[in-house]
Amino acid sequence: MAEPAIISVRGVNKVFNGGSDRAVTALQDIDLTLGRGEFISLLGPSGCGKSTLLRVMADLTAPTSGTVTVNGKTPGAARADRDYGMVFQQAGLFEWRSVLRNVELPLQVAGAKKEVHRAKAMEMLELVRLSEFAGHYPWQLSGGMQQRVAIARALSTDPEILFMDEPLGALDEMNRERLQGELLRIWGDTRTTVVFVTHSISEAVFLSSRVVVMSARPGRVAACIDVDLPHPRTAETRTTPEFFEKVKEVREALHGAPSEQAAA
Amino acid sequence: MSTLRLSRPAGGPALKARALRFTPVALTAVILLSLWQAAITLFDVPVFIMPTPVMIAEAFQHDFGTIMSASRSTVEPVLLGLVMGSLGGVAVALVVSRFPRLSGPVLNTAVLINCAPIVALAPIFNNWFGVTSLLSKAGVAAVMVFFPVFVNTTRGLLQIAPLHLEIMESLAAGPRQVAFLLRLPNALPFVFNALKLGTTLAVIGVIVSEYFGGSTEALGVYIAYQAALPRFDYAWAGILVSGAIGLGLFGAVTLLERILMPWHDSLHEEKS
Repeated sequence: MAEPAIISVRGVNKVFNGGSDRAVTALQDIDLTLGRGEFISLLGPSGCGKSTLLRVMADLTAPTSGTVTVNGKTPGAARADRDYGMVFQQAGLFEWRSVLRNVELPLQVAGAKKEVHRAKAMEMLELVRLSEFAGHYPWQLSGGMQQRVAIARALSTDPEILFMDEPLGALDEMNRERLQGELLRIWGDTRTTVVFVTHSISEAVFLSSRVVVMSARPGRVAACIDVDLPHPRTAETRTTPEFFEKVKEVREALHGAPSEQAAA
Repeated sequence: MSTLRLSRPAGGPALKARALRFTPVALTAVILLSLWQAAITLFDVPVFIMPTPVMIAEAFQHDFGTIMSASRSTVEPVLLGLVMGSLGGVAVALVVSRFPRLSGPVLNTAVLINCAPIVALAPIFNNWFGVTSLLSKAGVAAVMVFFPVFVNTTRGLLQIAPLHLEIMESLAAGPRQVAFLLRLPNALPFVFNALKLGTTLAVIGVIVSEYFGGSTEALGVYIAYQAALPRFDYAWAGILVSGAIGLGLFGAVTLLERILMPWHDSLHEEKS
């Protein structure tokens, strides 16, 4: 946290169906400061508003009240300037585009020259180690590979921030752990700030430099836990006492949170 | 696009598979034709009820030149109408997808026009464009093609996965980029389905409107004339040729679909 803030969230509330008797408070009084280069996980049970918080930062949803600053601007301006890349739970690749052309999409939308985006997209495919699949179509790839393409797509414009909304949630355990390793390597290579939404405690601990534990109904920040496990983190990291200790600490924070029954 | 082809089976086995797929079709055709021939000969069916395949073939051979030149003058307006109707349908669908509030009135108007029977449209278009004009026949075909293309394309343009829209939103894409990078490619399968319907409609439209004047050297006129004579074996030869034109156009659209949508085509081949 010595690094200067890249995202700051101040007194943010989000109420769905506000004014009606079906009003739901998704976020209540959220205060959060994210440092440049951090890997932050938003962890909590379903319905705790962690995805909503991410979507507020990404300007895909407007907060009901409070202020959000992303890279020194409003979220809207940050989106317009392509300051962030986004990865969703489903890869959402365009099935009519080859892998390479999918990765090129953000560059094309941003109006880059064709030669530039071809070269950049190839570089990104190299980063996620899928160069040899450049000419394939999405349906020819496994779910894990599709998600790697989605990560390459999100990073193709060299954004300062990477927003990830349960990106590994749809994958099986083995692919999931492999991609967690890949993600840490990519984070190390690009020094991008990552905001990662998950409901898996061990995933949050393994990946993050800081875990933001959220509680549900209304969504609040219950705790912020620094994870100082040394890098590079590998499969062995998962078996160390320090790792188990952190998982235990985070779990206790989750369960100690008020109005909390169960968490994954 | 080119690397994909590498992952497909090489030419030899693919060709064999294709031959195997066509064998049952050919066999069925031979059996049906034989049964047809046998039944008519056996039960002594008069020609005006149903001629035998052999008689139709002989008629076709005898009138080959006439039928071919008649077909040519029929195919021209069919193609023109197909192009006009589909371009119009896609264009109006694009406008409607951009301004969804227009979709109600535009759709109602399209239904209204589509309900106008060919027997009404053909003479009207003859008055508008002139009896001998290519446009008067092509216009009828275009009106018939327009409707399915417009309705299906609109659906394809609007039926977008919410996630895809959200991705474009996160990329700060403008409405024009959403239209051309997302909506239009998403609508392509819908467009081609409509075009397949459109091919048969265009053929019907032109052939029927040929009854209402214009060049006498046309397939519709030929069929009507031979049926009136009555030379039903010749009429049937004309009918079968018009069917073949429809089939050929259908095949051409399917081919175009495979070329323009390689991702879709391969999806099918993998499944079958």
